Amino acid sequence: MTSETARRNFAEHVLPHLDDAYSLARWLCGDATDAEDVVQDACVRALKALEGGAAVERPRAWLLAIVRNAAYSWLGKNRPRAIVLAGAAEEAEAHADALETGGSPSPEAALIETADRAMVAAAIDGLPLTFRETLVMREINGLSYRDISEATGAPIGTVMSRLARARAMLAQKLGTVP
Amino acid sequence: MTRPEFDDRSLLLHAALDGELDAAGVIEIERLLAADPKLAAEYARLKSLREAIHAKAPRESAPDSLRLRMMELAETQQTLRREAKTARWRDPPSWRSFAAAMAATVVVTLGLQHLIAAGNAPDTALQAIVSAHMRSQISGQPVDVVSTDRHTVKPWLAGKLPVAAEVVDLAEAGFPLAGGRIDIVAGAGVPTLVYKRRDHLISVTELRAEGEEAAIPRHLAVDGYPVVRWSDNERAYAAVSDLSPTELDAFVAAFRRAVAKERGGGGGAGK
Repeated sequence: MTSETARRNFAEHVLPHLDDAYSLARWLCGDATDAEDVVQDACVRALKALEGGAAVERPRAWLLAIVRNAAYSWLGKNRPRAIVLAGAAEEAEAHADALETGGSPSPEAALIETADRAMVAAAIDGLPLTFRETLVMREINGLSYRDISEATGAPIGTVMSRLARARAMLAQKLGTVP
Repeated sequence: MTRPEFDDRSLLLHAALDGELDAAGVIEIERLLAADPKLAAEYARLKSLREAIHAKAPRESAPDSLRLRMMELAETQQTLRREAKTARWRDPPSWRSFAAAMAATVVVTLGLQHLIAAGNAPDTALQAIVSAHMRSQISGQPVDVVSTDRHTVKPWLAGKLPVAAEVVDLAEAGFPLAGGRIDIVAGAGVPTLVYKRRDHLISVTELRAEGEEAAIPRHLAVDGYPVVRWSDNERAYAAVSDLSPTELDAFVAAFRRAVAKERGGGGGAGK
């Protein structure tokens, strides 16, 4: 592939989704400046992939998969603990968390509505990494299950159960009186 | 995926919320919701959670500095290519390249004559367009119809003008639509779209391109305003703004891509 075609594909497939890329990076790293670095790194990777002849069918899911990988590299370097937690331990932890949710009184819809920006942000930030990325891709980036599955490499069933658990954890945090 | 705490009904609920159900699934969930008040309450909770997230943790815009750096990343490649192309001309000449050069001279000469012949008309047109842009800035009323929705602007223009203007949505590229207005060029009304970039406005006017072939964007300055003029498929355009030329270029590129997509129905031009 000529660099001209790659450049045009970059302008066509990558540039329109910068807001999505940035939003995802921001929720994954938790910091605006770091998110910029991650997005820049992801864009360089994307351009290289296009120059290498990558065929892109679903540009947004494709770019967000690259952003996610770039964010994981960044986390591995700067927040290694977050990555360790993202492994099997996190699954178990979240599982226990969700089970607890079942026992306590149901969170109130009205209470959830009164949560302010800071509370919502803190609740999302508090989600374990794999659940946070699934929730952000669905609610903030607006990806379909299929796109999330492609971007995270998880089967659709896993995406669905992660999303359900992420929402249960959020509702629990926002919907019950502290 | 079948964990004890999330049975199939619960996952069905989430899929309904996410618009991932087919018609049969929708009927099924409606039946379940009507029959089970607990499930209906859970659905209401999930809905308010979604509303809270959308209202209080919206998708953020990438900072302009980042967007510009990434646009430059795309442009660097173009510059490199241009240099490579010029270098090829310095290869030792053969009769083949000599013939090509002669043909090019003929084309360039014809092109120049065409330009000189048409030279005066576009200038008055451009002058009118730049005046309209300046007037819109001074009056504080850059648009006749205020809307960020192209589906509002397009019919408004169509109702006032004999030509159907192509109105494209460039919000994703960082240039949200502000509205549209009608300018007078050479005694006739022409559609002008107004897009925003931070506090700056960009006016892009569609002109009739009589016998004009597709032309790559030309950069001009009229009364100190950068103007880009180009034509695609029998339509000519002029964009005026007080943005930096790089950003105006980025706008023109995004606009042309979007128009080509709109007219080509997704395929055709641009690939």
